[in-house]
Amino acid sequence: MTSRAADPTRYAATAESLVERVFGAVGLLREQVLDCRSNALSRREQLQAKHFAELRPGLSALLHAHRDVVVGMGMVIAPGILRGERHRVEWWQLLPGRDQPSALRVDLNPESLGFYDCDSAEWFSVPRRTGRRHIVGPYVDALGTDRYLLTFTAPVVADGTFLGVVGADVPVARFERCLLPAWADRAGGMGNVGAGKVAPDVLIINSQGRVVVSNSARALSGELLTDESAVAGTVRLDLPDVPWQLLLSERLFHGVGRNQP
Amino acid sequence: MPAAIGTGRQAVFAPLDDGAGRSEAVVRRLGSAIALGLIADGEQLPAESDLATSLGVATVTLREALSDLRRRGLVETRRGRGGGSFVRVFEPALTALTQRRVRELGSADLRELGEFHAAVAGTAARLAAERATAAEMERLVAAVDRYADATTNAARRRTEGRYYIEVAAAAQSVRLTRQEIELQSELAELQLFPPDTTGWATATLGRHRAVVAAVGDRDGTLARRLTEECIGLRTLAMIEVHLSLGPTPGDTLDGDADVSWSTAKGELDDEPSR
Repeated sequence: MTSRAADPTRYAATAESLVERVFGAVGLLREQVLDCRSNALSRREQLQAKHFAELRPGLSALLHAHRDVVVGMGMVIAPGILRGERHRVEWWQLLPGRDQPSALRVDLNPESLGFYDCDSAEWFSVPRRTGRRHIVGPYVDALGTDRYLLTFTAPVVADGTFLGVVGADVPVARFERCLLPAWADRAGGMGNVGAGKVAPDVLIINSQGRVVVSNSARALSGELLTDESAVAGTVRLDLPDVPWQLLLSERLFHGVGRNQP
Repeated sequence: MPAAIGTGRQAVFAPLDDGAGRSEAVVRRLGSAIALGLIADGEQLPAESDLATSLGVATVTLREALSDLRRRGLVETRRGRGGGSFVRVFEPALTALTQRRVRELGSADLRELGEFHAAVAGTAARLAAERATAAEMERLVAAVDRYADATTNAARRRTEGRYYIEVAAAAQSVRLTRQEIELQSELAELQLFPPDTTGWATATLGRHRAVVAAVGDRDGTLARRLTEECIGLRTLAMIEVHLSLGPTPGDTLDGDADVSWSTAKGELDDEPSR
């Protein structure tokens, strides 16, 4: 094992640049939302659903530019911002093989089995509470997109008023597909397979200990990494401004989170 | 009029393809959508011709179905400007529809449905015990609390369904989650409640709490076993009601709205030859 391969900062840098690319797109969307609002105010109009229609061309361009990693983007507007609406979900997905984004339709009726509860969703509640950007996941977006996702969100605040969150949905599989080849390049080889192991075990976990991405089948996306799972000598590195930590071990991780008979 | 239309709702207006009488099938489809809250109280249905087209039935069949729903008190038609057909949530009529549906099925259908649900939800519970984060644990506890707070049959149907969906999501499995959503839509059509609704709900609540505790203890084997037991008990209860309803598919509008669990059992006792 070369010391170059064992340097966690190189792996972290690759992950960070992917994360910042997604948040960059989210930031651009936030600017567009704020522009929409200023335009409406300058016309002395109260903010209405129709104003968010102005976002669509810009949103479509962002989705096309990042379609290798992002599947959907949009804004969830807080209750009370638009008259008569609890939340409004202005969320668009660029589905595989399609040129035009399609609107995500969710059930906002609290009396329904299919109710999509924005208020209790972490991607909404955390940025609202902290005023900071956040990444949720991996999680199953049940009754929404029904995908296995990482959701990147940031609060939109204007003149001290919380308008809602803007964000991007990144399928866990796409994030992995974008990151692992880059990690393999750093290490000079692909993955950790059997005797041909050329790289250390590298993985990212979220603040709850859930595996976000991993180059080893001993720790799969979605599993929980318990304290006992990481062997001695594991290097840990916090990723800046996201609730993630990168773990690197020259030796093997134990299988994590699985029931031992 | 709610602006958002969820995936469950897309199925509501999809063409009918079952062999039942066409107008009956329309009544059942719209009735279960109302019971599940997929169509909200007071919501306006699409124009008759549009609705007939999307369901794939003749306009005359649709009119027949709407008039049945109107008699049941589930649809209200207003004339004139801004008129049309509007949905009303009327519990007794929904119960009657449920019982008719249960009667159409064989007990083996119910058994299979229960077994399949146990397979899906049991596996989901085991995986959730291994994978649920602290935040997901909180969501599970909250889901059970919402069931505890439910006071109407409709609310119990809905909150129990959402509990199972939360467990599947905590298992980190998109496939199990989708399957669970589908099963819940199907099961919610069938769930029957005893007159002693509170007693049954209390027992069910205890079972759900035990599952969530096992998930919290990271005991996947126990979580799975308890889930399977809970679903097994519900399935047996449903089959019992099904058998007690008897083979007659006579669907008298006034009569069967009153058929409760206990009267259904009473009928069974009166007819030992059955």
